[in-house]
Amino acid sequence: MSNNVSVNVKEKKANPFVSLGNKIASFFKNLPSTLNKKLAGAKEIVTQGNGKVCASMCIMGLGQLMYKQWAKGIIYLLCQVAFLAYFVLKGASDFIGFFTLGTTESNAWVGIEGDNSVIMMLMGLLSIVAIIFYIVIYIANIKDCYSIQCSVDTLKEPKPFKKEVGALLNQKFYKTALALPIVGVCVFSILPIVFMIIIAFTNYGGDIVPPKLIDWVGLDNFARILTLGQFAPTFFKIFGWNILWAVLSTAINYFAGLALALLLNKKIVKGKTLWRMFPILAYAVPGFITLLAFKYMFSYGGPINQMITEAGGTAIGFLDIDAGWTAKLIGLFANAWLNIPSSMLLATGILSNMNTDLYEAARVDGASPFKQFVKITLPYVLFATMPVLISQFISNFNNFGIFYFLRGAMYMDGYFLASDSDLLINWLYNMSINNNYYSIGAAISIIIFIITSVISLSVYVLSPSYKSEETYQ
Amino acid sequence: MGKNISAIVAHAAVILAIIITLGLVGAFMSGADAGAGSEKFTGELEQGAVLKVLENDTAKRQGYFDELLAAFNEEYAQYGISAVDANLSESTDLEQDGPYGYGPDVLYQENDKLMRYVDGRHILPLPVNDIECFDEVSETAWKAFLADDGSGSQGVFAVPVNVQGPLLYYRKDLLPENWQQEWDDDGDGICDILQYWTDMYRFSLERREESGGKQFGYMRSFLEPYFSLGYLYSYGGYTFGKDNTDPSDIGHSAGEAEKGAYIIKQLAGAMDERCIDDSVTTGAYSAIASGEFFATITTPDVYTMFVDEMKAAGYDDEFIAENLVAADIPMLPASGDLTDESQGFIPCKMMGGVNGYAISSYTNYPNAALAFVNFATSYEMISLRNEMLGISPARQDVAEEVQGSSAIISNNLAEGNIVVMPSIKENAQIWTPLQTLFQDLARDAYRRPGEIKYDTLEKLKQALVDVDKQIYDAIFTLA
Amino acid sequence: MKKKKLFKPQKLFNIAITYLIILAVCFVFLFPILWLVLASFSKTGSIYSFKGFFPTEYSFDSFVRLFTDTQMYNYPKWFANTLFISIMSAFIGTALTILTAYCMSRFRFKSRKAMMKTTLVLGMFPSFMTMTAVYLMMTQFNLINQQWGLILIYSAGAPMGYLTQKGFFDTIPSSIDEAARIDGASNFKIFLKITLPLAAPMIVYTLLSSFVWPWSDFILPQLLLKNKDLWTVAVGLMTLPTDEFSRFAAGAVFIAVPIVIFYFALSKFLISGLSAGAVKQ
Repeated sequence: MSNNVSVNVKEKKANPFVSLGNKIASFFKNLPSTLNKKLAGAKEIVTQGNGKVCASMCIMGLGQLMYKQWAKGIIYLLCQVAFLAYFVLKGASDFIGFFTLGTTESNAWVGIEGDNSVIMMLMGLLSIVAIIFYIVIYIANIKDCYSIQCSVDTLKEPKPFKKEVGALLNQKFYKTALALPIVGVCVFSILPIVFMIIIAFTNYGGDIVPPKLIDWVGLDNFARILTLGQFAPTFFKIFGWNILWAVLSTAINYFAGLALALLLNKKIVKGKTLWRMFPILAYAVPGFITLLAFKYMFSYGGPINQMITEAGGTAIGFLDIDAGWTAKLIGLFANAWLNIPSSMLLATGILSNMNTDLYEAARVDGASPFKQFVKITLPYVLFATMPVLISQFISNFNNFGIFYFLRGAMYMDGYFLASDSDLLINWLYNMSINNNYYSIGAAISIIIFIITSVISLSVYVLSPSYKSEETYQ
Repeated sequence: MGKNISAIVAHAAVILAIIITLGLVGAFMSGADAGAGSEKFTGELEQGAVLKVLENDTAKRQGYFDELLAAFNEEYAQYGISAVDANLSESTDLEQDGPYGYGPDVLYQENDKLMRYVDGRHILPLPVNDIECFDEVSETAWKAFLADDGSGSQGVFAVPVNVQGPLLYYRKDLLPENWQQEWDDDGDGICDILQYWTDMYRFSLERREESGGKQFGYMRSFLEPYFSLGYLYSYGGYTFGKDNTDPSDIGHSAGEAEKGAYIIKQLAGAMDERCIDDSVTTGAYSAIASGEFFATITTPDVYTMFVDEMKAAGYDDEFIAENLVAADIPMLPASGDLTDESQGFIPCKMMGGVNGYAISSYTNYPNAALAFVNFATSYEMISLRNEMLGISPARQDVAEEVQGSSAIISNNLAEGNIVVMPSIKENAQIWTPLQTLFQDLARDAYRRPGEIKYDTLEKLKQALVDVDKQIYDAIFTLA
Repeated sequence: MKKKKLFKPQKLFNIAITYLIILAVCFVFLFPILWLVLASFSKTGSIYSFKGFFPTEYSFDSFVRLFTDTQMYNYPKWFANTLFISIMSAFIGTALTILTAYCMSRFRFKSRKAMMKTTLVLGMFPSFMTMTAVYLMMTQFNLINQQWGLILIYSAGAPMGYLTQKGFFDTIPSSIDEAARIDGASNFKIFLKITLPLAAPMIVYTLLSSFVWPWSDFILPQLLLKNKDLWTVAVGLMTLPTDEFSRFAAGAVFIAVPIVIFYFALSKFLISGLSAGAVKQ
């Protein structure tokens, strides 16, 4: 624990930007040498590889079979056959289709089944993934055959297949374990994102949606956004509020959760399970339902305004067009209400993990409870939850639901198709989904993405929990 | 070494050759397929067809849809075709689901929704001349479903079933007892409150005053453009030019539409803050039942909700039938000022819509689907639909027979006082800007003196011009 | 003696303040939920017929109709669908998340840091922009109108949130692994026999959080489940008309029941689940 604190202190002294700069510099400095190493390896295989390796270069698995490595040989051979079959049956036309994006427009009225450009883009993308995968396996096949050659040349028994499989449960256990999650993430998270990125380079959207044929337009969309006069002022206005929102809401959720955890952790509190149930209730009702409930509660006809008017006051437009900061504050409140429960649970867990000796020492030294919190509790919890904090920042930055459900869409004066409480993601939604301009929306999300990911990545990379993961192990 | 390099190169070359030649052949082949098209409506019913029909939720809830399916299935059992509930959400998007085979065969939706599918050719142009109701449906209703059918001429893309339009709902028993003396200046035996917005406005102010702000006359949220656009239309505003077909001409500020905007602001001032958001929209049923509101405007399909609430409030059927009345929309003062009757009155236009049946381009049974549409729009079925759901039929022969609200709406459509919602795709972009505008206008009635945004007609005009620009931006800037 | 006397009122004050704050917090969290519960017991369908916070008349009717009047709104069926999808996704998703977190915490390999950064960055993309691609992909895989299609997406997405679990594994001292390794256990065996039992509380936490996601999501089910009989509760509730508010509220209240039961049954695990304390030192 004390070790950790000292690490923290040290980090603070070093200028974060200098260290980040050094990192980038060293990456580029090392780039040529890493490339050289790879090239040398390839050169070695090409120059030293014998006939059997050459056989593997022609047909995958052939060399292995010649070395009587049956199991591996057959697996590689099957891969070769499977890929060829895929290319012949589907992959080839998918791949070419990626570039043409279709030649015949379909016409359902007369029963012409033409090309669906969007599907072609997606399938083309899959064929490119397949080709990359093929190259990776092909290289692995050659390397494998060469390593057999090396062991045979040095009169060693080549590794039996069984042992190699065994290694997948031991030294290379991570390969086995991560295979499935990685495939899943690639197919269902990365592929759709790549798809969205390439859409930014097409004219998909507006009138041009299937069955109309879509075309590649290069950087047109980006050029249009950057030259559009109305775009920049709205962008910066919303961006400023979005940053403020993300910082404030993350801080509120985090510290309120921590405070609640500390409160319910007090020794004098009895019936902790019961008390904790109330925030859990908030967790159990789906978020969009609670947001609709909040919208109603703060509406002109809702219970809060009814109470105000009954007490003789005039109704307050908490969320209406003139609301301005009231609406923003209610957004912060609703978001806190939704997220504090989970951050409380997290903080509770982390607090019960703390070493209490430090507190004893602090008490002996006569430190006030506040000082104990600032000097001991906070650094510890911050360290332990930094990655979670960053992912919370990101999800708050992209928090679509809050203002979508609370306020709905509004186009206000001084904004280009947005309202004063909209976040970038709401604005993006107005422009792309609501108005059907997918390619422009994709281009804007790329711009937003570049800005935000640079910010959050630098924070993450500079955070102590990323730099010294092993502190506790 | 050379051997190894050539092995790798050869391998790569073979794979590349396979991909490129086969790929190009594939691309070429798919192009060659095209050209063969055939007439879909041959008149021959497809044996064994099972039609998936999308209806709206109200028709399902009230049991009409079951009756329709049963009647159709009995009639057409001899041809071996039947129809079933598509079991999809009523707001299903055919553009999204149809091409992949998950859409319905026949769909019943609003005209603005259906006509959005025409550009992508998701619904079929129909040979409507053969349909029984062809001569019975009014010109205006057909017009909502006309569009270019690809050959340069106008095709019909759906068969109108009913006309949607707003009506005034009020409580007869809440009229002032002495209305014959006090509220019938024109002496036609009909209370002026129900005939002229000026009187409705005065009555609303009085009722609110007398009850100490607890009871109101006319109440209605202005948030929904569907119910608020009519005031702009009445004074010369329009949504799209060339009969709602030209998206480059947006005219909410045209003519003297600012007077309509002023009407909205004045009416809002006779209510309370709840007209700014949509708080009173769903609350209207119980507020009418409790007598908090005297009148509101809504579409006839929700009549049963008023009845349910009245029953819950303890009134018997007889009382409800006598005192819960649907009437035509009152007339507007030509001056645009609800306190100035000197320039006479003009009819109050309202936005409306036409719902109809369309046939998906992706159906395997176009002829059976057409048979279903023909059956569902027959005289018997439309009469039954009117009876069970209280809709205003698009068929004139049915409309002539029915009384009350349906007749009023059919008549309003014929006289041009119901402006049918634009059927072009760009219509989707008018809602958010207009919603913001109407909220702003209603809010303005409750702003403190120094903060009022629209105190002159010029400023109102400018607001309308700005909204038109916003809509234009939403449609064209990014396109 | 003197000191004690001075101390006592201060302590009493402390207790009073603490409970006051707790009560206030609980009230804030309870308020909207309580209102939802009250609304579900109201007799009329509309919320706007409430007298202030309370409905004008109470009845149990909306719950009865929720489960018996299934012709248009088949809540029991939706509930069963949601339960199936959520439980399946929770189990598969948890397995994948725990595996991912364990590997990221225990192994050092070439692309590890790059992967950590990538997963972080992926969260920055607005998810609705990728929905088109997900939908198209599912049409090509023939997984529209298939509950397994949804389960696949939820489970595949779950490992993206491995950071909390990785943090947990980071706090388990590696000395325990080392001892087992000296005894000749393979990494797989260590994971199965040592790490997993130690992580039992964390597994419970992960199960809960990966259960909640499909439970309250309506975007994906709406996109991928077209047939009304396959819908989940969230999608179904969204289609209820406004005059059915009490039924909406009843449906919303009832959907929270399994999660509250889950919490009470496992609250012991949950709280210590996030506290790696049990194994530390």
